[in-house]
Amino acid sequence: MSDFDPGRRRFLGHLGLAGLGALGASSFLSACASSASGPTTSNGSGAVTIQSNLSSPQAKAAMEKLIETFNAQGKGTASLNTIASETFRTQLPTYLTSANPPDLYTWYAGSVANDYASKNLLLDVSEVWKSLDDYPQSLRTLSTDASGKQIFVPMNNYWWGFFYRKSNFAKWGVQEPKTWTEFLALCETLKSKGVPPIGIGLGDTPWVASAWFDYLNIRINGAPFHRELLAGKQRFDDPKVKAVFTRWREALPYFDPKGKAYPFQEATTALLAGKTGMFLIGTFFADAAPKDALGDLDFFRFPIIDPAVPLAEEAPTDGFFASAKTANPTGTKALLSYLAGVEAQEAYVKASSGIVLPANPRAKASDSPLVVKGKAMLNEAKELTQFFNRDSSDALQPTADTALTKFIDKPDQIDAILREWQAGAEKVFKG
Amino acid sequence: MTATISTTSVTPTRRRRRSARLSPLLVAFVLVPFAVESVWVFWPAIQGFWFSLTRWDGMTPPTFVGTDNYVELAGDATFRGALVNTVIWLVLFGGLSVLGGFGMALVLQKERRFVGFYRAALFTPVVFSLVVTALVWRVFYQPDGIADTLLRAVGLEQLIRPWLADPQTALYAVILPALWRQIGYVMVLFLAGLKAIDPALHEAARMDGANAWQRLRHVTIPQLKGVNAVVLSVIVIDSLRSFDIVWSLTKGGPYHSSELLSTYMYSTAFQSLRLGYASAIAVVIFVLALAVILGYLVRAFREEAS
Repeated sequence: MSDFDPGRRRFLGHLGLAGLGALGASSFLSACASSASGPTTSNGSGAVTIQSNLSSPQAKAAMEKLIETFNAQGKGTASLNTIASETFRTQLPTYLTSANPPDLYTWYAGSVANDYASKNLLLDVSEVWKSLDDYPQSLRTLSTDASGKQIFVPMNNYWWGFFYRKSNFAKWGVQEPKTWTEFLALCETLKSKGVPPIGIGLGDTPWVASAWFDYLNIRINGAPFHRELLAGKQRFDDPKVKAVFTRWREALPYFDPKGKAYPFQEATTALLAGKTGMFLIGTFFADAAPKDALGDLDFFRFPIIDPAVPLAEEAPTDGFFASAKTANPTGTKALLSYLAGVEAQEAYVKASSGIVLPANPRAKASDSPLVVKGKAMLNEAKELTQFFNRDSSDALQPTADTALTKFIDKPDQIDAILREWQAGAEKVFKG
Repeated sequence: MTATISTTSVTPTRRRRRSARLSPLLVAFVLVPFAVESVWVFWPAIQGFWFSLTRWDGMTPPTFVGTDNYVELAGDATFRGALVNTVIWLVLFGGLSVLGGFGMALVLQKERRFVGFYRAALFTPVVFSLVVTALVWRVFYQPDGIADTLLRAVGLEQLIRPWLADPQTALYAVILPALWRQIGYVMVLFLAGLKAIDPALHEAARMDGANAWQRLRHVTIPQLKGVNAVVLSVIVIDSLRSFDIVWSLTKGGPYHSSELLSTYMYSTAFQSLRLGYASAIAVVIFVLALAVILGYLVRAFREEAS
């Protein structure tokens, strides 16, 4: 499968993109329109193309190694395209709806995948799942669409938590908090020592704030309410949602004011340099951290607010889905089976920064204390959530970014912010 | 254009009769660009108009909703904010780049020592892509970055703020790098215009006792009429299509405070996946640009006719 595609629709699509100049706007949009449908013409052989958004150096190298091993096994050939994750995110619908789409994609389980499945864009991979009978039921459910077929193959999951440097906590003489009260006390102590207690990185990566919303909501209102809210079955201007922000406001004075201006990568640097006390973030942040700092990292779970609410944690599951229009379903499924296997998953965990939990229950995770602790935390949880955009949709994420960054700046306007959020969300749900 | 070339270059009467029968070459000259233009520009534009009357997520087929999108636009506070910001952008970015570019051109028009170096220095930002420009300025604006260090050095640390993350300053913090680039470009246009003015005019004005200001007002500026029209259309079009620098620096945020029509269109289309609504915004941008271009063309034709 080469890049050249003589199909007329694709040709129009490219031309539409090329005409971006003067009439930019309209021609831009039509570029996607022209490629919205069309027949697949190539035959069922050739390399399986895999589009990957794993662009951090370690994860990228790990993927390259996996594909190399797969090609050496002789069960088929695959080629890897690594794409910057933001570009990947915006282009994914275009990939999936194009006439001659790439075969396999790295992406997220849950509502996002199900949404594509409901539009018949994803390949039925139930066949691959037949050999995955030892996978936990939770992962199987997560990978199953509304019509009951599997459309996703999980690779690994990870967790979110408050990360900190052990050496710094020792230096400041503080302990991990368990409850919200202890957490606020910890913040107060750090602040009195002149350290901004809570790091955050909202410049360029405003979605990081959604972790706060997700966690406060699942701690106060519970995971089922959270999922219903994100699916449009509850309202953002509900008093229960406002209660989330009342709690959040108690912690707002402890946020690093510089966090509004820089992205989470720089917030990571600030944490490692001891310029902030702790940072609510997913384990992927460690991909950008120097190896020697990894041993000094530790985390604690988001503090308990209401002990009566069943414990839930954010554990986003990453993996793969395939295009329904793939020209080579056999090869694609062979690659998926390989990627779901013990060997590939262990190799990936080893080559990446290692702070991920393989989806295959027989694959060994790294035995670092951090990973052992993370795994234990997830096992203890009654419910797992994915993340704001994964439990809702990428289209809903910008409404959250707007509402949450505005709240952090102007907490007094919370009622107006929630009304706007509800209005924005309704537009997204309406389409 | 093609017609004038063929009639002036072909002199013998025998050949002229043949060109009246429309030479195939001439037809090709007209039809090929027209066909290319149709596919590249007209067809996508017409499609854009059609999409603005639909609800469409880019995956399932579009559904016709009439003028719903435009009705929604009228009541959309974010759209109004983006429109106001686009006007602010037009006035500040356009106005200041004309003033700055013209001023620089006046200062640098006389040949003196190092003038080539100064001109090149002012033009250098134009060479960088706007995304690169954005990266450079992001370093400038970052917390404890160069901007903050400079302010601290002169004792103005109370002014320090998260430049790109503060809704009060975000739009202006984005206009500055755009201006930094545009001034050099406008300067070059004006320099070319100034060079074309006959020095004898200035000489005559000086003989008549006109001072420097009078010569600028009554000789230089009227002589630059042609360039002015070009500069005007360039800056208006550049303002309306400004997207890359805003997107790379703030993505229209925080909470839409630096949103322009172009960024709002993009995020509506490719983040919220509301392509019908985004097309309606695109149509508004198109109408605004068209109004300016038509205004310019009408003026240009009228001048040519007189």
